[in-house]
Parts: sequence; C-alpha cells; structure tokens
Amino acid sequence: MSVLAALARLRAAREGVAQPIATVRHCHLASRPMVLVPLKLAGEAAAPLGAVVGTDPDHPRLLVVPQPRDRDLRFSFAAELAEVLLPYVEGFAGATETVERRGGEPYERCLDAPQILVPNRPAVTFLGLLGRSTRFRRADGPCPVHPSVPLLGRWLTYFADRSHRPGSSLLLAATEALSTHWATGQSALEDANLAALVGWIDPPEGMSGARAAEEAEDPLLWPPAGPATDPGFDNEVLAPAVRAYEEAPSGHAVERVAQALRTQLEPTWRLMWRAAGLLRALPEGGRVGERWEADRGSFTRFVERLAENGPPQARRDGAVGAAARLAGLERAQAGYEVQRAYDDPLIMAEYRLTGEAFAGTVTAADPGHAEGEGRSRKLRPLVTVKTADPVQPAPGTVLGSPDRRGHAAEVVEVAGDEITLKIVKGMGRGRTPAPGSVPEPGERVTYTSLTGDFPSSPALPDPELTPWTHGGPPEEYVPGDEEAREEWA
Amino acid sequence: MSESLDALELRIAELRARVRRAVREGDGGAARTLRGELRRAEKAWDATVTAEESASAAPAPEPPLLPIREQVHRALALLGVPASARLIVAVNDAFFSRALRGSQLTSLRRDEERSFRASPYARPYYLCAALTDRLSPARGLLADSTWASERRVLGPLSPRVDFLVSAVRIAEHLARLAEPPPGALRLLTRMAQNIPGAAEGLAPADPVTAIRAAWAELEVHRAADAEQRAEVAARAGRQLSDVEGLFGAATMSTLRGAC
Amino acid sequence: MNRLDALRGPVSARPHDARAIAALAANPGCARRALLDAAGVDKDRTARHLGVPAPFGRSQFAITRGNAFEALVKENGCAGLLRLLRELFGLAVEEVGYQDVESVGAHLRHSHTRALIDRAAREGEGTAVFYDHPLLSLEIAGHTSYLEPDVVAFQLGGRFHIVEIKSFAVIDGQAAPDKVAAAARQAAVYVLALRTLLTDLGHDPRLASHEAVLVCPENFTNRPVATSLDVRRQLAVLRRQLARMTEVDRLLAEVPDGLTFDLAPDGDGVPTRPARELAEALSRVPARYAPDCLSTCDMCMFCRSEARECGSTDLLGRQVRDRLGGVSGMAEALGMAEGVLTPAEGQEEIALLLRTAERLRQECLR
Repeated sequence: MSVLAALARLRAAREGVAQPIATVRHCHLASRPMVLVPLKLAGEAAAPLGAVVGTDPDHPRLLVVPQPRDRDLRFSFAAELAEVLLPYVEGFAGATETVERRGGEPYERCLDAPQILVPNRPAVTFLGLLGRSTRFRRADGPCPVHPSVPLLGRWLTYFADRSHRPGSSLLLAATEALSTHWATGQSALEDANLAALVGWIDPPEGMSGARAAEEAEDPLLWPPAGPATDPGFDNEVLAPAVRAYEEAPSGHAVERVAQALRTQLEPTWRLMWRAAGLLRALPEGGRVGERWEADRGSFTRFVERLAENGPPQARRDGAVGAAARLAGLERAQAGYEVQRAYDDPLIMAEYRLTGEAFAGTVTAADPGHAEGEGRSRKLRPLVTVKTADPVQPAPGTVLGSPDRRGHAAEVVEVAGDEITLKIVKGMGRGRTPAPGSVPEPGERVTYTSLTGDFPSSPALPDPELTPWTHGGPPEEYVPGDEEAREEWA
Repeated sequence: MSESLDALELRIAELRARVRRAVREGDGGAARTLRGELRRAEKAWDATVTAEESASAAPAPEPPLLPIREQVHRALALLGVPASARLIVAVNDAFFSRALRGSQLTSLRRDEERSFRASPYARPYYLCAALTDRLSPARGLLADSTWASERRVLGPLSPRVDFLVSAVRIAEHLARLAEPPPGALRLLTRMAQNIPGAAEGLAPADPVTAIRAAWAELEVHRAADAEQRAEVAARAGRQLSDVEGLFGAATMSTLRGAC
Repeated sequence: MNRLDALRGPVSARPHDARAIAALAANPGCARRALLDAAGVDKDRTARHLGVPAPFGRSQFAITRGNAFEALVKENGCAGLLRLLRELFGLAVEEVGYQDVESVGAHLRHSHTRALIDRAAREGEGTAVFYDHPLLSLEIAGHTSYLEPDVVAFQLGGRFHIVEIKSFAVIDGQAAPDKVAAAARQAAVYVLALRTLLTDLGHDPRLASHEAVLVCPENFTNRPVATSLDVRRQLAVLRRQLARMTEVDRLLAEVPDGLTFDLAPDGDGVPTRPARELAEALSRVPARYAPDCLSTCDMCMFCRSEARECGSTDLLGRQVRDRLGGVSGMAEALGMAEGVLTPAEGQEEIALLLRTAERLRQECLR
C-alpha cells in the first residue's frame, strides 16, 4: 500500500465511490474468458458443492453435488467440470507460432491461451486443492474414475500454481484484479467481498458506493461469492435439501438442491461478468502483452508435457525445485513492479514520491554533444530537465525512461530543481542521434532509477546434485497406488 | 401447472429470506411461524413437481426387522465386551443389516432401566451399563446384563483391553465366514490400523495376523486389567443394589442431586 | 456492589471459553473490549440488542464434520489417538490407561479432573494416559471460566500434553496457517489452565508441556495425523494479556460514575433497555476499532459504524493508517493533502508528503 493508494482510499471514503489507482489495465483480459464460481462444503478441505461455469454470460452451466459427502458424486462433479473446462482449455493448444530466439533453438508457442476468472483468492486455493485431490486418480485399477478426472486435476493444479506468479493472467481472482485498479473507502480485508468491491466501483444508479457495499454485506441480498457459503444458507436451506435427497434421491430432490445453489451462485455469476466489463473498459498497459506472451509460453510447455505423458505434478517440490521456484517468483515480482511503473504514470508517481523517479520539462538540450576523439568518439547528448519532484538522484546514477524504449541516461549534475542528464543508450548508430531519440526543450519527460535489469537467478545446482543438507537428490516422482486410491472422506 | 411452480418458487425464496432475517434478529417466534409457512410451500412445491413427473416407482417394501434391542444384543454377543453405540452400529452394518442407526440407541439404556425397575428380571437379558471404577455408568457404553460382573466393570486399562478383544472377536467371526462381507473387512482393517503389527499400511487386514497382533498386546495388559476389574466388581457387589449393579450408582445420585 | 458487576447489571457473568480467551489477545489496546470482557458482559446479546449482530455463524456441516472427526479419533478408548502418540512420542505399549472424566456427572467433572491430575502428578507411572472430557478452570478478572480441552494426555515423557482435535485437513504436510495459529492459541489457554491447576496443587507447573498435540485429518481422508505444536509464544502473549486485564482497575477509574451496560432484561430475559441509551453508554468507553475486529469481536459492527461517524482512518486498516503517519482523522489527512488544513506541530513532514502525493495524483489523472 503506497501513500498514493492510501490517499485514494481517503478520497473514496469521502466521495462514497471508488477511486482509480491505475490509469491503464495491468492484466490481460481475454476476449473469451471462462468464468468459474465454485462452492465448497463447509468444514471440508475440498468437497465441491456446486459451481457455475461458462464463457457466455447468458448461459452459465450449473454443476451440482446433491450430497457433497458422497465421493462418487464428487467425482462425477469433477468429470462434469472437465467436460466444460477441458474443451475450452484444449481449444487453444492447436494454433501455434514459431518463435525465434537469439542463441537458442526456435520453439513453438500457442497463439492464444485460456483465461479462467474466479471470484477471489480462496477460490484459487480451492481449485488447487480440487486439482490435488483428483490428479493422482486413475481410470483403471482399484477405484476407477472417468479418464477426464485426473487430467482436470493436472490442469487445475497448473492454473492454481501459475496464478501465484505476479503478472500472470491465466487464472485471475476478480477481487485482486479489481483491487489493483481501484481503491475503495473501506479496508483491504473488506475488499475481499466481491459484491462490496463492485458496489464501491460501480454502484447502482442513485446509490453511493459506500451504501452499495453495505448492502452487499447482507448475505440475504448478496450471497457470498464462495467458495465458502453463508452459514445461514447452509443451516436453513441447504441442509434440509441435502437431507431430502438422502432420504429419496429422486430427480426433484436433485432439482431442489440445484435450485438452492442457483440462488447462491447466480448473483456472483453476474458480478463476475460486471467485474470483467469494468476491467475491459480500461485501456491495456503497454507491457501486458509481453507478460501474456510469457503466459502463452508457459501454457504451451504444459500442453507439451501432457502430450509427452509426463507424470502428474509431485505432491511436494524437492529442495532445488522449491528454491528455483521461489527465485522465479521473486524475479517475476520485481519485473512486474517495474513494468507496471513504466506502463502507468500513476504507478510511476509512487516512485516519484519516494525519490526513485522524477518527471519534469526539458529546458535545454545539446543533441550533438560527444565525448572522446577519433575512433573512441561517443555520442553523449546532454539534456537538462526542470522538476518539482521532491527527491533528486545522485550524479552517476543510470536512469531509464518510460517515454522511450531502450533509452538510458546518466545523471551529470543536479543544480537546484534542474537536473542535467547525459544520454548513453538508445540513440541509434549514426553520428547524430536518431530522430526523436533525444528529448527536445519543452517536452515533458520522466526518468527513473527503476530499470529492467534484474540480477539473474542465483546459480542453483541441478536437481540431481541437491546437497544432502537439503534432502539429497530427489527421487524421480512416480505416483504410487496409494495416491490413486487415496480416500475422499 | 408450471406457472404455479414458478409462483411457489418465488414464494419459497421470499419466505426463506424472511426466515433468515427473523433468525438473525433473534425473533424466534416469527421465525417459527415463517418456517411453518415455508414448509407448507415446499411441500406444495414437492407435490406439484411430483405430480408433473407423475411416473415414480414406489419403493420396495423393507423386509421385516428384528426389534432394535435384539439387533443390539446380537452385536454385543459377537463382541463379548461393553461397546459404544458407534461400534455396535458398525458391527451390525458390517455383519447383519444396515438398518440400525446410532440415534435409535440413545434412549435404549433408559428404557431398559425403566423396564427392569417395573418388573425386575422379567426379561431374559437387559441391555445395561458398564460401570466405571467409581461405580457410575460409563458414558455411551452398552453391556449385556447376563455377563459376569467383572466383564461389565471398567478399570483404566479396560477400554484398551476391550478394544483389542473386540478386534479379535470381529476377526474370528470374519475368518469363519466363507464369503466375508467387504464392510466387515473394512471395519477390521480400520481397527487393525490402530494395533501394532496388525495391518500393513492401508492394505486390507488379514484376520489371522490381526488376531495374533491383538493378542500380543493383550498379553501386556490382561493381568493388570483383570486385577483392577475384580476389585471394582467386588466393590460393586458389596455396595450396589440390583438395579444399581446393572445401571450404575451415580445415575440416581447425579440425577437427583444427592451426592 | 463491585464496579464490574455494576457495569454488567444483574445477570451472571458470561463465562469465557478457550476461543474467547484466546481472542482477548487479538486487540489488546481496546478499552471497550477489555471492560466488557472483564465484566463478563454478553457481547453477542448486547450487539443483537443494538441491532448490529456480528456477521459470524457456523455452518452445521462444519459442526457435524468436527464432531464426527473427534468421535472417530476418540472411539474405542482413543485407540486412534493412541496409535498416533505411539508413533509421535514412542509411547510404551503398557501405557494405555483411559479415564473418562465426564462419567462422574457434570457437576463433579472439575473436582474429578483435579483429583485425577493430582494423583497422576504424584504417582507418575501406572496412571491413565488419557483423560477424556476433562474440565479445567481459569480465573479471568475475578470470574472463573471453565474450559474443556479435547483430551489431556499424560505419560509422554512424564508430562501432561494438551491434545487438540481439529477437523481442518493437513494436505501434503501443510495446513491453513490461520487455522493452525488459532489452534495454537486455544491450546495455549488450556496449557495455562493446566499449569495453574498444577501450581494450585503444589506441583511443578512445567509438568504441563508447552508442546501440544494437534490432531487433524490427513489429506482428503478421515485418517487422523498428529503434529506436535510448540505454544510457548502463544503462552507468553496470553499471560501478558491476562496480566493487563488485571489492570482493569485503571480502566475503571476513567469510567463515569453510574455507567452500566445492563440490558435490563424482563422476567423472560428480553432486554428492555432502550438501544439508544445502551449505545450512548458504550460510547463513553473508547474502542480501538480495526478491520480485524470483523472476524474476532461481537461488537465489531457497532464499533465500525462509530468509527465511520467519526471518520476515523482506522476504518481503512492498519496499513493505510501507518502510511498516513498515524493521522487519525480522514478529514484531517485529506485537509492536509489538499492544503486546506494547517498541520499541527510535528505533522509538517507527513503534511508535506501528503501534499506532494496529492499533486502527483492530480497530475496523473488530469
């Protein structure tokens, strides 16, 4: 939480409506995302109760488990979910492009990738657990399931894992995506309620966001967005319906449970599409496409892994795998933060406030300035910027700028509110700077010490060289019968 | 027809909301009234839907059952030691019928005591209590009145000893059956997992191995347990009336507040 | 009449269970909560009477699941638990004794627990391993609260261990951290109560181990798995919080004379005190609202709407308040940011920061 975001919350509280904390969209939004709202049975780790899922706002598919304690019914839920989810996901695997890379073999990458939208982080966790509980199942052997069930498990595990990566958009939690772009007049804790959050951002006609959020806290008006259900609903509606099914598992007993769940799921289904619409209305940030490319690459590799019949994801990472994963997440986090600042002046303003960036107007420029003679002559244009921003960088600091890609400048001198910069990169190869590569007097510019150069990943040993202090080399993961047969309580 | 279903659904949704609001506002009276209305609406909905479906097969008539107390007695006879309602139901499910439910056993002991008080020893057996070392009825355990007193009282080691004995008896019974029911094997496996050396991992238990392992541990506790039980039984014989001997001393003193 | 009794009114003090006692440590700076708890006021009833009940509730599915799992672990004289303790602590095969404290009848449970623990502490070997349904007690600001740990186990290295049976799952060795933390806080309450009892009986309180045993279902099964849980830190926090509650006199000194939170129940126990009057009385004792209260305190909705009326930055969460340099009023902070309010002494720096932030924000959103 930055000071700017805190200020936005104050203003939101005063105005009674959410305030923007971003000027562009920082996540990818697919043209045809799949919305999935799962519900789970209270008191159980991963017992599905029901879900709505689909890619068409007008045609949600409702999935129901009339007796959530029955393991066969849970597996048929998983098979039904697979029926909807797998064709959607696999639909992206076909069309690929060949990507050339410097110093490496060219590789294939899918042209587009699936995107799943869920209401909140607990829904992501739930999908991860559902994946964990289904990916080791087998279609043959002692407790056979439909062949789609373990495949669904592997996909859900993949999506849930990937969603921990900062900047990834394959599986998005609506509350998180919205909170990255708007500040409400309530606490972050209360923002976890999707209905309240959307209420603040987009209140109904004639109602303040604060009032809409208050209304959204009444589970009778706005059922929770799951996966946890309202205890009042459980006790007074669901329990009798499940009991009725137990006593007589007829078609209309199923319909009674389905009807009960529909009342809890439909409002959230509509909210999810509203949330998607709110995000879609924002212009996409400049580097969102780059991150989506990385998502497409990751998705393609997972498709390949499945095609090669690789084993399901292990129950636990080995020591080296875990360290590599952590290092990867940290790099992704750092990269994501820099990219957001470069894409969005409002995010960059946070760094201007802490002195890691400044913006101002060019007062003088010497585009022909050079250093050295003869063959060692280097073009080093000078630019003077006048700024009102508080903290100024020390001479010698190398800065980047969101205004020009590949542009870099070194601080030469700071005199009062005027900073003289020497441009060191991004002017082209000619004797004079490429047109437009040197800011001109009167131009508004932003410079920052935040750059895209990140320390590369720490040298980690190959998995087979894991030191004994970290458990020694991991055994190759081969799931046994025990996992396949593992009971579902 | 379907129009009235729609109307009923609307009404049901509205009533549910009102019930829950009343409950949350702590208005128990209103909630009950509304629940009544809700139930009627749900019944009407059920009836309408069923009428629309019309074709629904009548459930097959259940075969005649043993009275509950006889089902319990049969399970106790198999186990041979005092047992909880949970275990009795599990044994009945595993070997006999699946018709006994835990809730049916809750008032059994009280009914038996009432019957005994009205005309002592009129029945061939009573389903009675197991007695703790304070001669009070042990919570939740049922025993057979025809058993020797030492079998019906408990020392601190008795719950473990009785558990091991039950496992042995279930395994023996299982071994005698030509086609052991899978439910019974699951029950034994679950018990054997808690006896050292009686089961391997999650694999189904082998009755002979389970019996041997249970006996090995029984040998450790048996003498001490027998001694403690004899002492409690002797004390019960000296201090308790007939009815107390079967149903426990503290029942009366506790319930009547005279201790 | 005692001041605390006067605050509560003519009803008996509401006893605290372990969950409630553990929650006392959640917001130690709140005077309102400290006083209400010390006086044993029924906060849930109070909030309901004010028309702002807390949004808590438990699903019967969760309750059923919890009870079923506990019954499974305890069935057959704790046979399942015994196996886990044999594996976890290498318990000797002779050690199998079991005592159901509850079989003496409800009113004797506490004294029976006391007698059994005393005997076990004196005699050591040959006494029971499991004490099922024990009843311990702890004094909170002059009132005795009775506590029911799931099981007390003895003889694990000659010490008593609290056993907590919880139905949340441990999946591939991991459980939800917030649930484990809550279990540890509750276990600490039981350890403290057990240590108090041992001290009373003249035994070494350290006979009650700071290592509790947490029993949870493994993965997606009903199979129990046990983990040892070190609750030293939770014990320290709890001790400190309970010590603060004894400083309740200091809080009472600031309470206006004649103040009471009495609901004035009629013959049927229905509150007759006008809600507005009660709200007025409550507002005389300062609260320290934080969004965390929404999951821990029955009074949360009342305090939140009060914080809204005051326009307190507490509403936005501790993080925001920290970012605002601790400025407590929203209007105050905004006034400084917009330059319409002259900062008080010592606020110049935060005011400058806020003004700059506001300028940057305006510039970017133009």
